[in-house]
Amino acid sequence: MGDGGPGGGREAPIISNGRLAVLILLAGETMLFAGFIGSFLVYKLGAPFWPPPGLPRLPIQITWANTFVLLASGVTMHLAVRAVRRNRLARMRLMLGITVLLGTTFLVVQGREWVRLIEHGLHLTSGTYGATFYTLIGLHGFHVLCAVLWLLGVFAAAMAGRFTAFRYAPVEICAIYWYFVCAVWPVLFYLVYF
Amino acid sequence: MLEHFWLPEGISTFSPRIDFLFTLIFWITAVVWALVTIAMIVFMVKYRTRPGRKATYIEGNPRLEILWTTVTAVILIGLALLSRSTWANIKENGPPGDVFYKVTAKQFNWEITYPGPDGKLGTADDVTVENDFHVPVNKVVRFELTSKDVIHSFFVPWIRLKQDAVPGRQIHVWFEATKKGQYEIPCAELCGFGHSGMKGTLYVESEQDFQHWLKDKYSSK
Amino acid sequence: MSSTPASAIHVGHAEHHELGFVRTYIFSTDHKMIGRQFLFMALFMMAIGGAMAMLMRWELAFPETAVPFMHWVPEPYMYDGAIPPNTYNSMFTMHATIMIFFVVMPILVGCYGNFLIPLMIGARDMAFPVLNMLSFWVGAVAGLIMLASFFVPGGPAAAGWTSYAPLSAVPVYTGVDWGQNLWCISLIVLGVSSLMGSINYITTVINMRTKGMTFFRLPLVIWSLFITAILLLLALPVLTTALALLLFDRLGGTHFFLPAGGGEPLLWQHLFWFFGHPEVYIMILPAMGMASEIIATFSRKPIFGYRAMAYAMAAIAFLSWIVWGHHMFQSGMNPALGSGFMVTTMIIGVPSAIKTFNWLGTIYKGNIHYTAAMMNALAFVAMFVIGGLSGIFMACTPVDMFIHDTYFIVAHIHYVLFGGSLFAIFGAILYWFPKMFGRMMNETLGKIHFWITFIAFNCTFFPMHILGMNGHMRRIYNPLQYDFLKPIQPINVFISISAFVLGAAQFILLANIIWSLARGKKAEANPWRANTLEWTTPIRPGHGNWDGPLPVVHHGPYEYSSPLTTEDYLPQNVEITGKAAVAH
Ligand code: HEA
Ligand code: HEA
Ligand code: CUA
Ligand SMILES: [Cu+2]
Repeated sequence: MGDGGPGGGREAPIISNGRLAVLILLAGETMLFAGFIGSFLVYKLGAPFWPPPGLPRLPIQITWANTFVLLASGVTMHLAVRAVRRNRLARMRLMLGITVLLGTTFLVVQGREWVRLIEHGLHLTSGTYGATFYTLIGLHGFHVLCAVLWLLGVFAAAMAGRFTAFRYAPVEICAIYWYFVCAVWPVLFYLVYF
Repeated sequence: MLEHFWLPEGISTFSPRIDFLFTLIFWITAVVWALVTIAMIVFMVKYRTRPGRKATYIEGNPRLEILWTTVTAVILIGLALLSRSTWANIKENGPPGDVFYKVTAKQFNWEITYPGPDGKLGTADDVTVENDFHVPVNKVVRFELTSKDVIHSFFVPWIRLKQDAVPGRQIHVWFEATKKGQYEIPCAELCGFGHSGMKGTLYVESEQDFQHWLKDKYSSK
Repeated sequence: MSSTPASAIHVGHAEHHELGFVRTYIFSTDHKMIGRQFLFMALFMMAIGGAMAMLMRWELAFPETAVPFMHWVPEPYMYDGAIPPNTYNSMFTMHATIMIFFVVMPILVGCYGNFLIPLMIGARDMAFPVLNMLSFWVGAVAGLIMLASFFVPGGPAAAGWTSYAPLSAVPVYTGVDWGQNLWCISLIVLGVSSLMGSINYITTVINMRTKGMTFFRLPLVIWSLFITAILLLLALPVLTTALALLLFDRLGGTHFFLPAGGGEPLLWQHLFWFFGHPEVYIMILPAMGMASEIIATFSRKPIFGYRAMAYAMAAIAFLSWIVWGHHMFQSGMNPALGSGFMVTTMIIGVPSAIKTFNWLGTIYKGNIHYTAAMMNALAFVAMFVIGGLSGIFMACTPVDMFIHDTYFIVAHIHYVLFGGSLFAIFGAILYWFPKMFGRMMNETLGKIHFWITFIAFNCTFFPMHILGMNGHMRRIYNPLQYDFLKPIQPINVFISISAFVLGAAQFILLANIIWSLARGKKAEANPWRANTLEWTTPIRPGHGNWDGPLPVVHHGPYEYSSPLTTEDYLPQNVEITGKAAVAH
C-alpha cells in the first residue's frame, strides 16, 4: 500500500484537516460578524443620538461581570487543552466541566437581561437601536449556544474516556471555536454597550 | 434606423463631455477588440492541426508579459483620471443654479414642486405638478431629488443624466438644457409593478414660454 | 472523530464496497457522484431559468399579447397567456436568481469543484465526504424552497435579483409576500451549503495533494477553484447578513432599510454588492480555469505564463473586494467614493488582460485540434473579451451615468455570464464527459450545438448594446410605453427571434447528453491525451479513484510537445530521467 492516509505519499500536513476546517469556518464567521458589526456602525455613527432618548440604558455592570465569566471560560478551555496534551485527563474533564458551566452562566445572565430589557420597553422594533442590539447580541448569543452544545458533546466524549494525549483533536477543534466566540464578545461589548 | 446605432442627440451642457468619453472608450475598446480577435483568428487558422505538425514548446515570455501589463494599466488608469473631472463637475459641484425645484418620486409618478412667485421652495405658494417638468432653456436648473417610498431613478437620456431618488435622502442634481423640446423622463430603477410606464415629460422652453406657463399655473392654483 | 476523517474511509483502497442504490446514487459520499448530482440539478434548473427568459423575450418583442401555449396559467399571474407587469418582474428576478445561484454556481463550483479537485490533485476523496454530501442536499433544499416560491400566493420575488430595499423590504411595495421571504430563506440555506463546500475544497487543496503535487504544479482549474472557494467563504456570509436583516424588516417589524424608522436604504446595496461583485468573479474564475485546461490540451502547448495566470486570478480575487461601489455610481452614494471605485474597477481590467493575452499566447504556434470542447473554450475567450470591454464603459463614472440600468448592462451581463461562464461550461461538459460517464459525447452534435448557440448568442445579445445606447431601460415590460423606444422596437423583435433560436439550440445539448449517456462511444482511458491526473485513473473510477497506490507527480500539468519527449504530451505522473527531471 503506497499511500497511508489521505496525504498519499506525502508527509503529514502541517495542520490536520479538522483544525484547518475550523479555522476556515471561522474566517467565514468573521465575515458574518463583520457584516453585522458594519451595519451596526452605520446606524450608530449616523444617528444624532445614540442611544436614542427615551429607551432604557443597557446594563453595564452586570455585563462587565458577564464579560469576565466568558473570558474566564476561555481560560478554563485553554487549561483543558493543556491538560489533555499532558495526559492529565481528570483535570481536563474538570476544566471542560467548568467551561460548560461558565458558558451556560453567560447565556443565562444574557437571557435574564434580555427579559428585563424587554420589560423596560426595549424591543426589536424600537428603532435601529433596539433592532441592532437584539440582532447583533442575539447573533453572538446564538454562537455561544452552539458552542456550548458542541462543548457538551466533547465533554460527554471526555467523560466516556475517548481522549488521551495521543488523541485529542476534537477537544482542540472545539476549543478554537470557543476562543473565537470569547474573542468576539469584548469587541461587541465595547461597541454596543458604550 | 441607422441613426439609432449611436447615442441619441445630446442636449445638455455636459452631454458633449460624456459623449466624448463614450466615443474615446468606444475606439479604445474597438481597437483592443480588433487586435485580440484578429490575432486569435490568425492563430486559429495558421496553427490548426495538420499531419506531422508539432506545437512549439513555449512556456511564456516575461518581457512580453510586463509589456502588455503596463500598457493596459497605463491606458486604464489614464482613462480613470481623465473621467474624474467630468464626474466631479456633474455630481460633486457644478455651477450655481438659476432656477430651483424639488422633485419627489413616488410609486409611480414624478412630483415636481415649483417655488411660488416668492421664488422660495418650502413656502405656502409652492405649486406641485405631477410629471410635467418645465424648465427654461440655457439656464442652470437645480433640484433636490427624493422619494416617498422606494428607490426610483430620474433619467433623461438626451441630457445624459441619471440619478437615483432615495427615500430619506435629498440629492442635489443640476443640468442645463441647450435645446428646446419635449423629452421623456423615464424611471430607470425598478420600483414595483408600475415601474414600466412611470414617466414624466421634460419641457425645455424659451424663457418667455416658461414664465408664461408658470404664471398660468400659479393663477389656476 | 479522528483528525483525518478521510483516512478512516479509504484505507482499504481498491475494494469496491457494495453500497445499496440509495448510498450510491442518492446519499452518496463519493465526490464524483456528488459532482454528477450537482450537474443534473443545475441542468434541470437551467431549463426553468431559460424558460423564464423565453417568456420575457416574447413579452419584449410583442408586448401585452398572449404567449403561445400559456393559456393555462391562472390569473392574476397571466391573463389568458398575456403577461402582466408584476409577473414580468417576477420572471427576470427568478431568471437571474436561478441562472446565477442554481445553474452557474452549482455547475462551476458544485459539480466541477467536486469532481475535479480530488481527481486532479491525486486524492481519494474530499477531506470531509459526509460534509460534502450534506452540502449537496442542503443546496437541493435551497433549490426546492426557491421553486416552492412559484406556488405561494402573491407569486415569487419580484424585486430583481438584486432585491433593492425598500422595494423588497415592504410587501405592499411589490405585492409579493411569501415569495420574497422564501427567496431570502432559500439563499440563506444556499449560503450554508456553499460554506460547507468551500471548507471542504480549501482543506482538500491544502492538505490532500498527492506526493509531488506542489502548489505550482496544480492545474490552473484547481487554482481557480481554490481561489473561488476562498471568495465564496468570505462573500456569502455578507449576503447572509443582508438577507437576515431584510427578513427581520419583513417579518420582525424592524426598520433596517426603511428611512421612516431611521433605517438606511443604501446599506442594502453596500452589503449586497460587497457580496455581489466577488460573486460575479466566483462565476468567471472557474470558467477561466476550465478554459485554460481545454485550450492547453487542444493546442498541445504549455499554458503561456502559467505563474502569471495563477497570480492574475489571485489579483482578480483580491481586487474584487474593493470595486463593489461601481454598481452604485448613480445610487446617491457620495460621488467622491465613486471616483475611487472607478479607479479600482479600471485596474481590475489589468489581470484580465494578462489572462486574455496569455490564452492567445497559448494557441500561438500551437497544434490546434478543433474538437467541440475546444471551440467552446475559444468562444469563451472571445466572448469574455467583449463582455469585459463593455465593462470598461460602465466603469467610467460619467459614461455609466447614461448607460446604468439600460440594456447596455444587460448585454454586459450576458456576454460575461453566457458568453463567458456558460460557453466554458459547455466546453467542460464535453471535455470531462468521458471521465464523468465513461462515454464520449457526440462530436458532430456538439459542433452543431456550438455553431447555432454561438451565432444565436451574438444575435441575441450584441444588439442589446445598441438598445442601451438608445437609453432603453432594463426591467421594463413594455418598451412601447415610451415614445423614444418605439422606433427601435424592431431590434427587440430581432433579439427575441434570435433568443428563441438560442433556447431551442439547447435541446441539441440536451439530446447530445442523453444520447451519449446511453449510446455514446465508450471512452478510452485518456481520450484527449491530456497530462493531468484525472486521466490516470480507470476510465470510470470507483470509490477511491485509483485502484493501486496514489500517483506521484513529477512535473507541472502543461508539458505538451516538450522537446524532451517524443509524444506530444507528458502526464504529470510519468517520470522522465535526465535533464528534464531537473528542469521541472
Ligand atoms: C461573470 C460575471 C462578470 C464579470 C467577469 C464582470 C466583469 C467586469 N464588470 Fe461586470 N457585471 C456583471 C457580471 C460580471 N462583470 C453583472 C451580472 C452585472 C450587473 C448586475 C446587475 O445590476 O444586475 C455587472 C455590472 C457591472 C457594472 C455596473 C453597471 C451598472 O449597473 O451601471 C460595472 C461598472 O463598472 C461592471 C464592470 C465590470 C468590469 C470593469 C469588469 C472587468 O472584470 C472586465 C475585465 C476584462 C476586460 C477589460 C477584457 C479583457 C482585457 C483586455 C483584452 C485588455 C485590454 C483592455 C483595455 C486596454 C481596455 N460590471
Ligand atoms: C448565467 C446567467 C444568465 C444566463 C445564462 C441568461 C440567459 C438568458 N437571458 Fe438573462 N439575465 C441574467 C443572467 C443570465 N441570463 C441576469 C443576472 C439578469 C438581470 C436580472 C435582473 O435585472 O434582476 C438577466 C436579465 C435578462 C434580461 C433583461 C430583463 C429585463 O431587464 O427586463 C433579458 C432580456 O432579454 C434576458 C434574456 C436572456 C436570454 C434570452 C437568455 C438565454 O441565453 C437563455 C437560453 C435558454 C436556455 C439556456 C435554456 C433552454 C433550455 C431548454 C429549453 C432545455 C434544455 C435543457 C438542458 C440543457 C438540460 N436576461
Ligand atoms: Cu419608479 Cu421605476
Ligand atoms: Cu461588479
